[in-house]
Amino acid sequence: MGALARNGDFWSGLALAALGAYIVGTARAWAYMSEDGPGAGFFPTWYGSLMIVLSLVLVGRSVLNRAALPASRPVKWREVGRAFSCWLAFVAAVALMNVLGFAVSFALLTWFIIAVMARRSQRLAISVAVGGAALFYVLFVVLLEISLPTGYLF
Amino acid sequence: MELLTGLLHGFQVALAPASLMMCVLGVVLGTVIGVLPGLGPSATIAMLLPLTFKLEPTGAMIMLAGIYYGAKYGGSTTSILLNVPGESSSVVTCIDGYQLARKGRAGPALGMAAIASFIAGTFGVVALMLVAPPLAKVSLAFSSPEYFALMVMGLAMVVLLAGDSLVKALLAMLVGLWLSGIGTDLFTATSRFTFDTVELLGGIDFIIVAIGVFAIGEVLGNIEPHEAPSMIPVPKGLRNLMPTWDDMKRCRFAFANGSIVGFLIGLLPGAGATIASFISYGLEKAVSRHPEEFGKGAIEGVAAPEGSNNAETGGALVPLLTLGIPGSGTTAILLAALTLWGFKPGPLFIQDSPNLFWGLVASMYIGNVLLLVLNLPLVAVFAQLLRVPSYAMFPLILGVSIVGVYSNASSMFQLGLLAGFGLLGYLMRKLAFPTAPLVLGLVLGDPMERALRQSLMMSQGSLAILARPIPLTLLIIAALLLAVPLFRRLNAVRMQVLDNET
Amino acid sequence: MPTIRKWCVAALAAAGMMLSGAAPAADWKPTKPVDVIVHTGPGGGSDLLARAVVTILEQEKLVPVRMNVLNKPGGNGAVAAAAIYERKDDPHTLGFITSVWLANALTTKEAKITIFDLKPIAQLLLEPAVFAVRADSPYKTLKDFIEAAKAHPGQLKQSGGSITSRDNIVREQLQHATGTKWAFVSFPGGGARLAALLGGHVDIMVIEPQEAGEQVRAGKLRVLAQLSDKRLPKWADVPTLKEAGYDIQTTPQIRGVVAPPQMPTEAAVYWEGRFAALVKTAAWKKYVADNELEESFLPGKQFRKSMDDTSKELHDEFVKAGVKVVR
Repeated sequence: MGALARNGDFWSGLALAALGAYIVGTARAWAYMSEDGPGAGFFPTWYGSLMIVLSLVLVGRSVLNRAALPASRPVKWREVGRAFSCWLAFVAAVALMNVLGFAVSFALLTWFIIAVMARRSQRLAISVAVGGAALFYVLFVVLLEISLPTGYLF
Repeated sequence: MELLTGLLHGFQVALAPASLMMCVLGVVLGTVIGVLPGLGPSATIAMLLPLTFKLEPTGAMIMLAGIYYGAKYGGSTTSILLNVPGESSSVVTCIDGYQLARKGRAGPALGMAAIASFIAGTFGVVALMLVAPPLAKVSLAFSSPEYFALMVMGLAMVVLLAGDSLVKALLAMLVGLWLSGIGTDLFTATSRFTFDTVELLGGIDFIIVAIGVFAIGEVLGNIEPHEAPSMIPVPKGLRNLMPTWDDMKRCRFAFANGSIVGFLIGLLPGAGATIASFISYGLEKAVSRHPEEFGKGAIEGVAAPEGSNNAETGGALVPLLTLGIPGSGTTAILLAALTLWGFKPGPLFIQDSPNLFWGLVASMYIGNVLLLVLNLPLVAVFAQLLRVPSYAMFPLILGVSIVGVYSNASSMFQLGLLAGFGLLGYLMRKLAFPTAPLVLGLVLGDPMERALRQSLMMSQGSLAILARPIPLTLLIIAALLLAVPLFRRLNAVRMQVLDNET
Repeated sequence: MPTIRKWCVAALAAAGMMLSGAAPAADWKPTKPVDVIVHTGPGGGSDLLARAVVTILEQEKLVPVRMNVLNKPGGNGAVAAAAIYERKDDPHTLGFITSVWLANALTTKEAKITIFDLKPIAQLLLEPAVFAVRADSPYKTLKDFIEAAKAHPGQLKQSGGSITSRDNIVREQLQHATGTKWAFVSFPGGGARLAALLGGHVDIMVIEPQEAGEQVRAGKLRVLAQLSDKRLPKWADVPTLKEAGYDIQTTPQIRGVVAPPQMPTEAAVYWEGRFAALVKTAAWKKYVADNELEESFLPGKQFRKSMDDTSKELHDEFVKAGVKVVR
């Protein structure tokens, strides 16, 4: 409840503080100021530092407020899982595009979303997948001659 | 009056059947390109250049210009319906446009985009016609200190995009600034944050972040619930397809805002339509009587940025035609086209080639009317797209995103980045970080840094260069913008204290 | 008798020619569309040159297939170089290079593939440049500017590209030769540099003669000197750097064509031949004249030598200018 909300801000605050520290650390390798004015390290140092400060404020606030926060909805991990698996499917589709080509990978992704995520019938999933991929292919590759990833098939 | 004779002559040229046909072709092509994400006017114009050698130059220029400003009309379509920015300058339209669509008001949003584009586009042409040569001087007076102040003011608008948590909005903006700086530093040739990858040397393309964070993030967010969320309501009846009179009244200021801000920023070479649309949006929210509606579906939030990215076209043609200085990639191609045909864009252009100049101006009036007539009925057509059930919408959005990114960059690496930013968009939603400030930081970060360093190089390190009238004014506005939440906070505290006392 | 002898000699000569492998007749020709890779986005210098070349090649029917320009911007040519390299032995890929690729090879660590990993086909052009100031400025000659810079060290300003660009190299060379110093302000695009000069925010810039032409005609700019060995035809009354009294060896801005590293020899020879034919056409000559460029055709091997020489010069200049060199 309160702990969970704290967790959200708490962890994102920490992550951003870490990013800020990374930025400032990396920027030290570059010139902060040169005779021609600010160097390559000037801006990153400043916004990195600001990032550290603000993210610590976020962390601090989340820690201080954990008692005061009303019980917020618990994180529905099941739902997050769904979103994450959809994302993984997307990544897989992109990764496969070099091998299978855009049309096939896109059809697979469509099938996955309709059959697995939305749990509609296989017939629907397959027909929309094939139809959609064909539509994209015809519209973009054939008509508009935009190059799309081609694999070993097409 | 010389103006009238010029214009009349221009209409004679523009209304000739051949020119008219070129105009129609240009604006239709432009609209199609604008609607399709990833395919931009600059790439299209570059591809068509060789074909134009066979055509008569004035007609060819009319067509190319038609593609240029026509694309701005079409860019709002996928922004509103799918949360996928069709053009980089349409990113801001996603913010309120997509929310309007979710509320069942996709039709009015699309219609308002077309109307605002028409009003601002026409304003841009009028301004181009009336004040081009004197305004050229204005565009020259703007240099790095002024740009820097403009960018700072733009970034200060983050407080207006903040929503509930200013800290989170600022953090998102800072991440945007970081992303903006990835790549090769112009001044010292050092590579920053490129993780030793060749593909990052050129920086991260803005449209990849925008499509990833907005469109893909949204899909991932929506796919969470087991039962697919109810489809976006399809508006029924013509009345629901068009903006109401109420909407039009609310947008009065937005029309003016978009037109003026867009044109002025278009004048500045290098500032760009995306910056114009952000500033226009911020300004609209700042003066609105109901700012809390912005971000949740305020129609002015569509009218202002859409108007400004169209007026920007008119503004960008000023330095191009009166100084021979291109302000962006697209205008650079137009410049190349003009040079190839033997014209000489520069201070003497209007004198030397009145046919082309006035013909172009007249054709732009005609073109804007054509676009309005073309786009309004298309609203009904596009609104039908919303009938598509969500389980088919999601793959559609993902597919369009991939095509959009790949057609720009032809690189699997960029697609990988797209996936990464999609995840980032989803995480930002879950953790309640506002996404607009990230995009704002990304757009303004690098130009702002460049402008500051150029300014300091010009003044040999003295910050006094920023005390010129224009930068000073803009910086003061920025300071005021940043002070607003402080005042509000103090006010809230004061109210609480008063409450406790009574 | 005499006729038979003539025939024998002719037959022997023909056999000799065939055996020596001199210019084998009808051999390789492209059979599918050719990709021409450039390192700028649409509208950039390389992009426009590539499109112009492709158009002339097609109009003059020098190539039987379509040629498509592919934009691979990023990393000052590093992304494009990698893209060309990836196509290993594809005879249907070409790339357009500029001197920026040479500078990049010297200064960018991440560019694992550089121009030297690619097969040189032909050098096409040199890009001249001129020094320009505003027409209402007090400098009538380059000497005036240098004297003013000497009197106010570090206060005058030049607008230009990145610090590895020719604009800055020339500046460093001049500063070195005359013991002066003036500031350099980098702008990413030519339009912004010109705007800075016209608006009075900087004092001088190095600019392409074609861009300067219109401004000079309108009375806005004055050209002080040209960066070339001989005077360009359209600028007959502007002194070269040497004539103005500054003996500076200016590194040339090269534009040329490269190909994937393992492109088969017949294909490379074919392309070399096509470009050799291109530069003889009237359309090309008109293009060069209109854009005020300098013809400078060099086939493959000499092109490579030109690149090596230029790279060496750049290396020395960078070291003197304090630019970090990684190769």
